[in-house]
Amino acid sequence: MKKQQQEAMYALLLRLELWFAPLLILVPIFVSFFFIQDWYVRGAIMRTSRYDGELILGLVILFGNLPYDILFMKSIRSLKRKKIINENATK
Amino acid sequence: MFFSEMTARDAFKLTKKKMTEYQTEFLERMNAIEVDAHWFRRVFHTFAASFLIYYFLPDEGWLFAIKRCTIIGILLVLIIIEYYRFRGDIKNTRFFGLRGYEQHRPAGYLFFGAGTVLLFLFFPQQIVIPCLLCAAFIDPLMGEMRFYFGKYNAILAGFVVSLFFFSITWYRAEWWVIAIVAVAGGTVVVLSEAKKLPYIDDDFMIQILPAVLLLIIWQGFVGIGVDILPETMILPL
Repeated sequence: MKKQQQEAMYALLLRLELWFAPLLILVPIFVSFFFIQDWYVRGAIMRTSRYDGELILGLVILFGNLPYDILFMKSIRSLKRKKIINENATK
Repeated sequence: MFFSEMTARDAFKLTKKKMTEYQTEFLERMNAIEVDAHWFRRVFHTFAASFLIYYFLPDEGWLFAIKRCTIIGILLVLIIIEYYRFRGDIKNTRFFGLRGYEQHRPAGYLFFGAGTVLLFLFFPQQIVIPCLLCAAFIDPLMGEMRFYFGKYNAILAGFVVSLFFFSITWYRAEWWVIAIVAVAGGTVVVLSEAKKLPYIDDDFMIQILPAVLLLIIWQGFVGIGVDILPETMILPL
């Protein structure tokens, strides 16, 4: 019974982390677009270079995060695939 | 088969088989999670670059107090969580991606959080931005490079990318200031990442050491009557 409870808690934790993953992926993308949008609205439209730094930071955050996000999503997909294969093997 | 009908040999075989199955299943699961935790840790690092949105909040009146109290509050929550983890009230297994050596000392996320909070509280934006970008991107970059291309290539790559971060964040300064800041900052970032200390995590050192060095350089120049600090990159809303 105790072992079953532990297993259930363990599965719940793993699920929680997988639910947490979209936040880790989407927040940096949102923030980078926010930087770029702010540069566009306050800088590009108003024709001032004071906001160019925000564009640079937006691009750094976006392109710095994307490769790791892709690899992270790939690892989650492979984890799910392994689970399906294991489930099929045990049936 | 009832237990009474089983011979001692059968019981032993059955137990051994079940134990082997359980062990195999457990190891498979741990391996899968370890792979996942590896990229989870990396993404957690790169996620930290989003904290720069902090600078969009204005430094005026009650908003200033709220934003300062919020980051101090977050740090306190992290300290409390770590306190309960050390006491054993929260089990280590509850922490996804926790490294083995972090089980008996404060975890990396606390060091990272403490470093970031200190940066936001005590350093100007021009110093905080490159240091935070380095903590977010150089650490995972050097980790991956070290694994695939060896230690020296990792240091070289870390140094080049650090130079890039310090240069682009100080691009409004004079060229000689950019050169000094980028070389000094990049060197310290790479040193703090390459040199592992037993009790202080590199996530803390990679933020604080270059920040302190840049602060000293800046104040040194202020002392001789030259302010090298460029304009802020992020202007509050």
